[in-house]
Amino acid sequence: METFELKVADQDGKVAVLEVAGYINNEGGEVIAKEARRLIDAGRHTLLLDLRATRIINSIGISLLLEVLEHILEVKGTLAFCCLTPSIAKTFQIMGLAQYTRIFPDRATALAELSSGQ
Amino acid sequence: MAEPVRVRLVLPRAPRAELLATRAVEEAGQRIAFPRDTLAEVKLAVVEACLNAIEYGTGEVEVEVIAHPNDAHPWIEVAVVDHGPGFDPSQVPRPVLEDKLRSRRKRGWGLELVRRLMDEVEITSRPGMTRVRMIRRRGGE
Repeated sequence: METFELKVADQDGKVAVLEVAGYINNEGGEVIAKEARRLIDAGRHTLLLDLRATRIINSIGISLLLEVLEHILEVKGTLAFCCLTPSIAKTFQIMGLAQYTRIFPDRATALAELSSGQ
Repeated sequence: MAEPVRVRLVLPRAPRAELLATRAVEEAGQRIAFPRDTLAEVKLAVVEACLNAIEYGTGEVEVEVIAHPNDAHPWIEVAVVDHGPGFDPSQVPRPVLEDKLRSRRKRGWGLELVRRLMDEVEITSRPGMTRVRMIRRRGGE
């Protein structure tokens, strides 16, 4: 049931892509936060979370994403999301996340814009 | 007119128990052909209500899902009941992202999400029983 998986799809380019699958709850959020911290500490300051395979996120998972956001803002980096379901997009909109992150409809658009520094 | 679809369940105190409630919402919603995207929002709200009930309540958490198959205006009603100490909903501060980013406590979004994802939310709370009743209509905001 909504098994969580995280894969770092690209560690070489300017943008580190984290492919997230499954339920982002406390456990999933911790996994994302830990991996994000590792990447940021390794100098990767542009992170893209591809949520195409995530259907449900809860507020505990969201609070852990906020820790990632706080950390990335401290290094003047960029946290971006792509492939959000409409319900997760609405959740992010309710929280006002678009003000501090970048949200893209698909991964190709995200990578093109983030890589070019737009 | 067709009868409402009712699903009642008692959540176990176990990790991911809230997902059982989302399955009930999914099942009931599909039976009245509720739009998938709207149903997904109801599921997120129900997850939050259940998490609050599990975290702050004691004993059993009861969930009732009622899907009303009105042809023109189908709607879904969900009630989540816990038996914790209760709380005053008017005293729960609305979260502000800017403040949360500066604060060590980044949680506190649950009730706000419930209120914003559903069309109507009614909270009845006293020591020993809190009931969050939520309604979402097709085509609601």
